Amino acid sequence: MNKSRARSRALVAVVSAASLLALSACSVHTSSSGGSSGTTASGSLLFGADGGNPTFVRDFNPFSSNARTGAHYMYEPLEVVNSIEDKATPWLATGDKVVDPTTIQYTIRQGVKWSDGKPFSASDVVYTFDLIKKNPALDTLGQWQSISSVSASGDTVTFHLNGPDVPDATIIDQQIIVPQHIWQNVSDPVTWADPNPVATGPYVVGSFAPNEYTMKKNTSYWQADKVAAETLVLPASNTPLQLVKNGYDWAYSFIDNVDTTWVGANKQHNTYWFPPGGTIALLPNLTKAPFNNVDFRRGLSEALNRNTIATDAEEGYVKAAGQSGLLLPNQQSWLNPALPDQGLISQDTKQALQDFAKAGYSSKGGKLVGPSGAQLHLTITTANGYTDWLRGVQAVQSQLQALGIAVTIDQPQPAAYTQAENNGDFDLLMGAFGGSGSVYQDFNTLMSSGFAKPVGTAASGNFERFNDAQADQLLGQLKSATSVGDQQKIVDQLQQLMYDQVPVVSLFYGGLWGLFSDKSFTGWPSADDPYATPATWTENSLLILTHLKKAS
Amino acid sequence: MRYFWGRVGLFVLTLWAAVTLNFILPRLMPGSPADAAIAKLSQNGPVSPAMRASIEAQLGVPSGSVWSQYLSYLGQVVHFDFGVSYSYFPQPVSSLIGAALPWTLVLVGSVTVIAFVVGTLLGVVAAWRRGTVLDTVPTVGGQFLSAFPYFWIALLLLFFLGYVAGWFPTSGAYSQTATPNWSLSFFGDALDHAILPGLTILITSFGGWIIGMRNTMVNTLGEDYVTFAEANGLRPRSVAMRYAARNALLPQFTSFGMVLGGVVGGSLLVETVFAYPGVGLLLFHAVTNQDYPLMQALFLIITVSVLIANFLVDILYGVLDPRTRQ
Repeated sequence: MNKSRARSRALVAVVSAASLLALSACSVHTSSSGGSSGTTASGSLLFGADGGNPTFVRDFNPFSSNARTGAHYMYEPLEVVNSIEDKATPWLATGDKVVDPTTIQYTIRQGVKWSDGKPFSASDVVYTFDLIKKNPALDTLGQWQSISSVSASGDTVTFHLNGPDVPDATIIDQQIIVPQHIWQNVSDPVTWADPNPVATGPYVVGSFAPNEYTMKKNTSYWQADKVAAETLVLPASNTPLQLVKNGYDWAYSFIDNVDTTWVGANKQHNTYWFPPGGTIALLPNLTKAPFNNVDFRRGLSEALNRNTIATDAEEGYVKAAGQSGLLLPNQQSWLNPALPDQGLISQDTKQALQDFAKAGYSSKGGKLVGPSGAQLHLTITTANGYTDWLRGVQAVQSQLQALGIAVTIDQPQPAAYTQAENNGDFDLLMGAFGGSGSVYQDFNTLMSSGFAKPVGTAASGNFERFNDAQADQLLGQLKSATSVGDQQKIVDQLQQLMYDQVPVVSLFYGGLWGLFSDKSFTGWPSADDPYATPATWTENSLLILTHLKKAS
Repeated sequence: MRYFWGRVGLFVLTLWAAVTLNFILPRLMPGSPADAAIAKLSQNGPVSPAMRASIEAQLGVPSGSVWSQYLSYLGQVVHFDFGVSYSYFPQPVSSLIGAALPWTLVLVGSVTVIAFVVGTLLGVVAAWRRGTVLDTVPTVGGQFLSAFPYFWIALLLLFFLGYVAGWFPTSGAYSQTATPNWSLSFFGDALDHAILPGLTILITSFGGWIIGMRNTMVNTLGEDYVTFAEANGLRPRSVAMRYAARNALLPQFTSFGMVLGGVVGGSLLVETVFAYPGVGLLLFHAVTNQDYPLMQALFLIITVSVLIANFLVDILYGVLDPRTRQ
C-alpha cells in the first residue's frame, strides 16, 4: 500500500527518516522559497503522483506497467469504480444493465470527442476490446477470461460472457478505451510509447522534460465545466523533504510523523486521509502441516494482538483488521451482523494455547512443543525493504515468542519474495488481499480453488492454496446472483467461512496515503466525503480531478 | 614484444571470463523479471491475477535454453546490441545507458581527477614538511573525512546546504523544467546541481590520495639521490617536486588508473541520495528489478573499463619500468 516503498529501501529510508527527524526541529525553514515551478501560477496543481527512475521517459501507453501516471488522466474507462464505496460512476458509458447473468449491456455516452476533435463512438469500445483480445499483454484486467464476444449496435455495446458472471460488470467498467483511428495504425501496441496521446479525458500533455512534465486542461472535454485545475505539474522527484518544502497540492506518499511533517508545514491548509486499500495478512501455507489444521490457524489468530501490530507497522495510521475478509469501513454495508465484534479477533492467549493443544502442540517449560517433542518453529517470509511490514512481522514474532514459539523472519528481495509467494515456497507469508472494489473479486482471488496451484507451480491468487468445496460453491452462486439481497446472503456465508476456517490471518489494513492541501483547491476526498480513494495511479483520480473547486 | 602479446592474451582471456560470469550471475538471483515488476506494483496494493498474466505476457520473460540464451548473448555483445530493458520496458538498453553515462563520466570522472590532483599535491607538502601543521592537518583531516560513509556526508550536505540554507538544489542533475541541451545556461544549471554530489565524493575520496602520496614520498625522501641533491645545494622546491615527488608518483598513478576504470560504475550511494541520473542509480534499479539485459550491459561496460584501465597500466608499466619486461 506504500508507493514510497519502492524507494524505501534501507538507504532512502535513512534519508527521509534523518531529514524528517531534523525537520521537525527546524520547522522555521519550511517556507517554500525557491521551490518548484508549480507552486506559483494560479490554477496549477502541484501533484506528487509520478516518480522518475530517476528521470521520466515519455511513455503514455496506458496499458504499459511503466507508463507515466498521466496516462490515467487522459484515457477514460466506461465507468469509474470507487473501491471505497464499492460504487461505479458512469463515465464513457452512461450506464450498464445486466440483461441476464451472461449478458451485460452498456449505453455509450453521446457528444464525447477525442482530443483531436474526432467523435467518440461505440465502435471505439468494440475496437479496444478486440485490441486487448489480440494482444493479451494489453489485457491488464483479464477481460477475455470471462467475455466470449462484444458487439455494438447504435450506442449500445453488448457483452456476452462465458458463463453466469454478474460481478464481471465491475471489471468491464474499468476498461479504458482507446481511439480506433489512432491505434489501428500502430504496428506494435505493446511496445508503442504513445508520446502524444489522443484520448477523451480532462487533460492533455503540456510540456515534457526529464525532471517534470505538465498536463494542461483539455478544453473540449465533455465535462470541461467540472475541471478546476488548468494545469497539473508532476515532478519526477517527490521525496518527503520536497513534499514538505515545495507546497504540494496533492501527493501520494507514506510520510513519517504526518502531523508534524506534512500538516506542520502548513497547519492552515494541509490535511491527510489514509483509508484502507487492502488487508495485510499472514498467509499460512495450507498444503503443509501444521498449517493445514484449522485449530492451529485459530490458535495463531488468537495469539496475536492486532492493535499492537498495526501501530508498530504503520505508526498508528491504520486500524487492526477483522477476520471477516472485508475491508472496513469501506465495505461496511456488506458486513455480516452475526459476526461477533464486527469480526475483530482480540488477543486471548489462553484460548490460543487450548487451540494449539487441540492441534497437538502443548506448552512445556515455557516452550510450545509438538508431538515429536521439538519446539514449534515458524518462519515468516516478508519482502526485503518493506520496512512497515517488517515492523509488523517483528511484533508478531515477539507475541508468538511469548507463547513459546520460535519464530524466524526471512526477508528475500522483492522479486524473490514474489516468486516464493507465487510458488507456495513459504510457511507463513506476509501478503495482501482485497481492495479491488468488488466484494466478489476480493473473495474470489482469496479463496477460489481455481487459483490454487500445486506447490512449485506459480499461482496468481489464493497463494495460501485454500481448497474448500463450500467456498467454491458460494463463489459460483455469487457469480450468478443478480439481486443485492441474494448477494448479501452469500457474502454473509463467505465471511462466516473466512471467520471459522481462517484461511489467512488478517492483521491490519494497508493504507492509501493521501496528502492534500486546500490552499489552491478544495473538495478533496476525506473520511466524511469518501467519493474517491487517494490513489493517484488509476482512473479513480478522474473522480477527484472533476470534483475539485478553486479555493476562494 | 613478447611481454606485450602476453598481456594481450591475458586481457582477452579475462575479458571472456568476465563476459561469461556476467551472463551467469544475474541468472543465479532468485525471482524473474516479471516477479520483480509485480513486486513493484504490489506496493500500491494487491495485484490482480489478470495484471500478473498481462505483465508476464508483456515482458516475455527469457525464452529458450540457457545455452541458446548464452550464444545469442555472445552475439549481442560482439554487436554491442543489448536488447530491450525489462524494468524500463520498452526502452532499449543502449539508449538508457547512453543517457546515464555522460552524467556519471562528467561528475565522478572530473571529481576523481580533482581529488587525485589536490590529494597528491597535499601529500607532497605533507611529506616535505612532515611533523608540521601542514602535515598533520591534511593527513589527519583527510583520514577523518574519508572514514565517513559517502551517504552520511551526502545527507549532511543535502540537509544543511541544500535544505536549511537553500544554496544548492537538492536533487537531480538539472532543474525541474530544463531539457538537456548544449546551451551555456543549461551548463550553468547542471554545474549548480553537480556541486553537492561532487563535493560529497571529493570530501570522502581525497584523503586516500594524501595518505598514499605522503607515505611513498616519505620513503623516497630517505633515498640517497635525494640526500645527494640536497647536498648539491639544489633549491628545496626542486628537490621536492622534481626528484622526490616524481619518483613517488609511480604507484600513485597505478591506483589512479584503476580508480578511473571504476568511474564508469558511477557512485551508487551519492547518485541515490541526490537522485542523480547516472550509471550507479541505473545499476541499482536494474539489480533490484531483475533487469537482466540492463544488468548485463552495465556490468559488461564496468568490467571492460576496469580491464582496459588495468591493461593500459600494465603496458605503461612495461614502458616506464624496464624491470617488469624481464
